[in-house]
Amino acid sequence: MITVFIEPDNETMTFVRLNTVLMLQRRLGLRVNDALVIRGEELLTPDCQLKDGDQIRVRKVMSTG
Amino acid sequence: MKCRKCKAPAEVSLPSHNTAFCRECFSIYFTRQVEKAIRHHSLIKYGERVLVALSGGKDSLGLMLELSRLEYDVTGLHVDLGIPVSSPAARAKVEGFCERHGLKLHVVELAKHGLPIPDVKQYINRPVCSACGKIKRHWFNRVALEGGFQVLATGHNLDDEVARLFANTLRWDAGYLSDQGPCLEAESGFARKIKPLYRLTEFETACYAFINGIEIHTAPCPYSSGASFTGHKQLWANLEYTSPGTKIAFYDGFLKRGRPAFALVDQETGAPLAPCETCASPTSTGVCGVCRLGITVAERRAADPGRQPGPGKD
Ligand code: SF4
Ligand SMILES: [Zn+2]
Ligand SMILES: [Zn+2]
Repeated sequence: MITVFIEPDNETMTFVRLNTVLMLQRRLGLRVNDALVIRGEELLTPDCQLKDGDQIRVRKVMSTG
Repeated sequence: MKCRKCKAPAEVSLPSHNTAFCRECFSIYFTRQVEKAIRHHSLIKYGERVLVALSGGKDSLGLMLELSRLEYDVTGLHVDLGIPVSSPAARAKVEGFCERHGLKLHVVELAKHGLPIPDVKQYINRPVCSACGKIKRHWFNRVALEGGFQVLATGHNLDDEVARLFANTLRWDAGYLSDQGPCLEAESGFARKIKPLYRLTEFETACYAFINGIEIHTAPCPYSSGASFTGHKQLWANLEYTSPGTKIAFYDGFLKRGRPAFALVDQETGAPLAPCETCASPTSTGVCGVCRLGITVAERRAADPGRQPGPGKD
């Protein structure tokens, strides 16, 4: 299972069967440069593999006022 | 994905530039874009003092850090709007950031000047964001003037600029189209206004903030009705997605071919400016708009039975 925390909405979602960052972005309806995808201290590009147990932060970048 | 330059694993993918970078090479790319903006538009001249408007968001703090690394003489300016919860949080981020990086900071507290934004919202009959924007711009200009800064820098990025340009174009607003851009030259008592991040997208400034461990203020203002130009930004994100590079091409094309044409057409000059009778900021109306707001708020506050200081006082 992969746990995804979405900012700035502060929402947590979990996914099973998610192979890559690109798949995650598609599921969330995000384009490549709509959000940072963060694992620990590192930024992930769309081709990065996700693995079971990953804790991912998705930080949307469009400023909110 | 590998870094286009050094073949290390990439952390930042930039389809708009058909490239990807590791964090070191991304930092170099980011710096180059800022240097290019400064050089091409003569944003900062040697020895000039730069005042950087700091809201606490990723763009303004990233800009401040980058300019300081480029060894410009920078001072931060934060306007504390006096809004419960959100203003202290934003201010704490700005103060923490400047302290951590050893950067100079000047804070203006609107409450001390009789104009905390909640009072403006309560007593002034116009959209609070338009008054708030006016008050912030007033203080940016005023501190620049009083502090002897030649340059006033803001963190506007490419997405902000393209969305604004698009809105101006939809209205064919010749006045704005004649001078929108990364540099507005100093005139009649105003410092030069510059936007050194105009070549970088919101995504890129967010990457920069993350990579540099900048803690940012993200909680929206309670009076915000959502980001300005959100619809336009979405539309442009779609355009950029289907045709990478469209944003910067649209904006650069405007600077090269659109703006000069509008500048020729828009020769009208406004009323002459003179120092405000109260605060000395340049104005065409004797007493400037912000000082007049201050007078109105003070009068209405004094007349408000709910705001009397306490029994036995007048
Ligand atoms: S959203 Fe808040 S901070 Fe922004 S202009 Fe409006 S009142 Fe001011
Ligand atoms: Zn590299
Ligand atoms: Zn004034």
